[in-house]
Amino acid sequence: MSVISPAVAPGHEEAAQATPSLARRTVQVFTRNKLALAGVVVLVLLLLFCYVGPLVHPTDQVHTDLSQASLAPGAPGHLLGTTDLGYDLVGRLMVAGQSSLEVGLAAGVLATLFGTVWGAVSGYFGGWVDAVMMRVTDAALAIPAMFLLVVVSAIITPSKTILILIIAAVAWLSPARLVRGEALSLRDREYVQAMRMMGGGGARAVFRHIVPNAIGTVIVNATFQVADAILYVSYLAFLGLSIPPPATDWGSMLSSGITYTQNGYWWMIFPAGIAIVLVVGAFNFIGDGLRDAFEVRLQKK
Amino acid sequence: MTGFLVKRLLQALVVLFLVTIIVFLLLHALPGGPARAILGPKGTPQQIAHFNEVQGYNNPLPVQYWDYLVRLFHGNLGESYKLNESVSSLLGQRLPKTLILTVLATIVAVAVAVPLGLLQAVRRGKPADYLLTAGAFLAYATPVFFLGLILIIVFSQAIPIFPAEAPQGTSIGSIFSGFSGMILPIATMALGIIAMFSRYMRSATLDNLTEEYVRTAMAKGQSSRRILAKHVLRNALIPLVTLLGLYLPTLFSGALVVESMFNYPGMGLLFWNAAQGSDFPVLLGVTLVVGVATVVGSLVTDIVYAVLDPRIRSVS
Amino acid sequence: MSEPLLSVDDLHVEIASRDRTVHALDGVNFDLAPGEALGVVGESGSGKTMTALSLLGLLPSGGSVTRGSVRFDGDDLIAGGDRKLRDVRGNTMGVVFQDPLTSLNPTMTIGAQVAEPLLLHHDIGKKEAWARAQDMLGLVGMPQPAERMKNYPHQLSGGMRQRVAIAMALVCEPKLLIADEPTTALDVTTQHQILELIDDLRSRLGMAMILVTHDLGVIANRVDRVAVMYAGKIAETAGVRSLFRAPRHRYTEALFAALPEKAVIGATELRTIPGLPPNLAVEQHGCRFAARCAYATDVCRTEEPALTGDDHAFACFHPVPLDAADPLDDVAPGGQRHTPAVTSGAPLLEITDLRKDFPLRGGPFARGRGTVSAVGGVTLTVRKGETFGVVGESGCGKTTIGRMVAGLEDPTSGSITFEGRDLATMTRAERRRHRKSIQLMFQDSTAAMDPRMRVGTILREPLVIQGAGDRAEQDKIVAELLDAVGLPRGAVDRYPHEFSGGQRQRLGLARALTLSPELIVADEPVSALDVSVQAQILNLMRELQRDRELTYLFISHDLAVIRYLADTVGVMYLGKLVECGPADQVYARPLHPYTRGLLDTVNVPDPEAAGDGGTPLGGETPSAANPPSGCRFRTRCPIAQDICAKVEPAVTTPAGEGHQVACHFPLAGGALQDAA
Repeated sequence: MSVISPAVAPGHEEAAQATPSLARRTVQVFTRNKLALAGVVVLVLLLLFCYVGPLVHPTDQVHTDLSQASLAPGAPGHLLGTTDLGYDLVGRLMVAGQSSLEVGLAAGVLATLFGTVWGAVSGYFGGWVDAVMMRVTDAALAIPAMFLLVVVSAIITPSKTILILIIAAVAWLSPARLVRGEALSLRDREYVQAMRMMGGGGARAVFRHIVPNAIGTVIVNATFQVADAILYVSYLAFLGLSIPPPATDWGSMLSSGITYTQNGYWWMIFPAGIAIVLVVGAFNFIGDGLRDAFEVRLQKK
Repeated sequence: MTGFLVKRLLQALVVLFLVTIIVFLLLHALPGGPARAILGPKGTPQQIAHFNEVQGYNNPLPVQYWDYLVRLFHGNLGESYKLNESVSSLLGQRLPKTLILTVLATIVAVAVAVPLGLLQAVRRGKPADYLLTAGAFLAYATPVFFLGLILIIVFSQAIPIFPAEAPQGTSIGSIFSGFSGMILPIATMALGIIAMFSRYMRSATLDNLTEEYVRTAMAKGQSSRRILAKHVLRNALIPLVTLLGLYLPTLFSGALVVESMFNYPGMGLLFWNAAQGSDFPVLLGVTLVVGVATVVGSLVTDIVYAVLDPRIRSVS
Repeated sequence: MSEPLLSVDDLHVEIASRDRTVHALDGVNFDLAPGEALGVVGESGSGKTMTALSLLGLLPSGGSVTRGSVRFDGDDLIAGGDRKLRDVRGNTMGVVFQDPLTSLNPTMTIGAQVAEPLLLHHDIGKKEAWARAQDMLGLVGMPQPAERMKNYPHQLSGGMRQRVAIAMALVCEPKLLIADEPTTALDVTTQHQILELIDDLRSRLGMAMILVTHDLGVIANRVDRVAVMYAGKIAETAGVRSLFRAPRHRYTEALFAALPEKAVIGATELRTIPGLPPNLAVEQHGCRFAARCAYATDVCRTEEPALTGDDHAFACFHPVPLDAADPLDDVAPGGQRHTPAVTSGAPLLEITDLRKDFPLRGGPFARGRGTVSAVGGVTLTVRKGETFGVVGESGCGKTTIGRMVAGLEDPTSGSITFEGRDLATMTRAERRRHRKSIQLMFQDSTAAMDPRMRVGTILREPLVIQGAGDRAEQDKIVAELLDAVGLPRGAVDRYPHEFSGGQRQRLGLARALTLSPELIVADEPVSALDVSVQAQILNLMRELQRDRELTYLFISHDLAVIRYLADTVGVMYLGKLVECGPADQVYARPLHPYTRGLLDTVNVPDPEAAGDGGTPLGGETPSAANPPSGCRFRTRCPIAQDICAKVEPAVTTPAGEGHQVACHFPLAGGALQDAA
């Protein structure tokens, strides 16, 4: 059995043929990736559940009702039972999902935007600007995100907006590094040199050549950032530092459920936990599929 | 090589310096300042003024920073507000425990992830690859505390074979005398790392398999198995060292959660408790030490990498 | 006839990828006697490398032998399966690949890699294997083999790495050596040394060889027999002299005619082969060359010609008649004359004592550790309307000069004057406008075009930047440019990756022309192309020069290409211009020993011419970080004296005005023996 075969392709690609447009090819490669497609389906279902769900299944998620507390799944009107404070669990999942998704998306996008600008500037200018900006990034990266988040939220009482800001404040570092690397290499590409030779300037280099060519990296990274941000929200909740009730998110639901591990109240733990895994996994699968799609697009000779 | 070392060392020093600034600013740049945070919203203006006077918070920021640096150089990280002990002596007890947990979990993770990644690369596009890929992504998508919780429910409640709490003693020896209590914390921490590293191994192996030197090895009559073992593995493993350095912050973050989860008396638990009680000297002390550990750790991994990779080693 | 060592029969190979299946080989047959050397020659995609790889069972992923047999040394390698193949590989069949850097394991010592086949195939201990590996390194001409055993590949030069690769292939003393483009990645002089080495070892070890190459010059001098491949089949096979003297297949004939060496200097257009090789993912009918063949008839398009003949076999319905004279004579279409060499025009570009130092790698803390002197004081003049060819090996500084002229690098010192104006004294705005006048044509147009832009946008970009005309005018200019370089106007809507290498080079030329420059700096513009396509581009460049009164600064490592195109030639060595003068003079009567050496080293695609080849260059080029004192060439110069190490030679003109040389002992009559 030969599991290895040399993949050094010979020049049999030389013959030119019409190829489908880049965008179509990207979509084609993406849709061939079954895991990525599954990610899209899961994400769409979760979005429907969180935003359309409350219309179909309206519940009171503001007032506690201790008479209805900790009902097991299957109780009349409560498909998945109720929480320790008597909220309907299905309805609670919907509301919590809204916060988790909103905070995750907003923080992920914000972090990507800021990181992209930081990285592009650092990489394009190079030299001392780059050295200074990258040392700052290194230093901020050296302090593990969780520790930073905990210190910051120990000082400030989080609201949704603040949560978004502080998560973005630790999450922008990795896109910054990534985009900086990309900008560094794109800056020296021959097509940028060719453009400079025609008399083109820095702005044209950045906006017409560097950004469009780095956009794949940025989009892929953004999906991972959103996934990570949703995880951060849940970690903060676990450490007791999330948005105060009656608002909630999946992380908070999960960590308040942990108290009842001994009682066997599994419905207070697993639905929220699985929801997090599903949404984070979905974003990761999508990101992975996008990465393949963008790469093929660039590698294709 | 020496040029590389000097450059890398200077970089690390600059980063360390910036880390102290960030930690310092964390305490001072936040609204209300330390006094408000410690005395709470009920603190009277007099109390706040007194607190600031005593703690030196009335001096200009640069002066405060200078004092902070001087204290750091004397190994003085301050006194805990709550525990009646110096932060450095607290860290002295707790840091080794965190290191033991982290190192053990990393060893387990690498031992599992490397063969797993190789297997996926060799079985690329086959069901085993898809299954493991999906598994790795799901493990990565699971919050560490949820993972720990599942392990506790399964291995401590449903099938009670491991305790749900880590060994408690203050000495290092207690960890090893009650080692069954370490199984679940280590497993919890290792699972997340396995997810990341097996992904790396898979793609590194695939990248290396397309290299021409693999074709050369085949042309010599080497078998696939031995090409993997003799040629590919080494080339894929060397960069893993750098990856370890890059993931140090993630490892420490993981330790924080795992320690809180299993009540393991390491630095993470100390930090968590400090966060609950607004014990700022401890919070900042731990943050600083973790930051320093990360910088030093990634410096070490870079050097190890340079030693392992002949291409860098011999550039003099 | 004795039993052949290797017998390939009806070999079919397919390479399947996600979207399609390429029929890379479609019935290849040949035999190889023990000790015989067979050259397999063809353009990219012809299947020559696939043939070599399939013998060893090393096809790329997705590739498989679908039919046919390979009998080697009494065994059927296809039927024998993996075990049999592993037994043969590296043992009785050794192989050397193209790129000596990537084909060695970067993290394993030379010793371990050379000894590996011995440990696999011979029942000997590690100690003995290492001793024999070391002997082998000595045999392939590696200096200090004992020390080299402990080195890693990156510590060796390209030539030395290829010696290691050869040692690895030969350490088990195989019966057959397969060399797949073994010298393509190397410089002319290194290439020569490696080919000599292979020749020498082959006769010493008495092994057979298959030499796969695209280079007709390499094949002409090194093999007994040649197989010409086209589109997955052998088109013609014959003894090397017979093939070069009288090619019978129309493809072989056209291929030879497209060689720049075949053209009388400056006199004729190169004959080109129109179009592209067929797409092998589609089923082929008839002769595969029919679509590009001037002699094709209906039968060629419907029936497939068989390979017939004994010693000289070919697969062609309308072969070249046996009594045809030299293929060159019937190719020159009407003998179109090129404009006579321009040596009297007004100076357009004047370079004076131009220098460029690059700091040694190592970042901000490595300052003061020295510099690499890439260009060490070059003075030259390019006249309006001429083609000035700069020739030299890699690292000689020719590309750096081109980049400085094009404004992509700033000189360390010296001046560049264009139309009487010093570039350094221009203001920013002037420089920006001036950019129009000098454009660069890159070697690799793929890298030089933004993969996310359509061709229309790419070609319009220079106009947009310079603010020339409105959208409609720009579109008109683009359309005219596409016409001029022979591409359909519809190309504007496509992306660069949808074009073939030659078409992309046309696009590169079109873009360079967009701003109507006066000078085009062409940096190795045809090096990545096949001979037939290369001829198309060279002809096009010539035609455009005539029509648009262009001046070219043409940079190449290829002496034949430069000879064909250039009016004036500058020869560079290690950052210095050692010789400069009218092309015909420099080639016929070189004054510098380096030029002489280069000319003697180059492989002429003519087996008859082999053997009388003077004194090829030995040794390796020293590092530019620490160039030799005095004359930089002295360490490799056969006639160097003490003074060469002490005094840098001044530029003189011993052969008359216009032919300059920087040498203490310039050659008389262009020959080494007469000098000194």
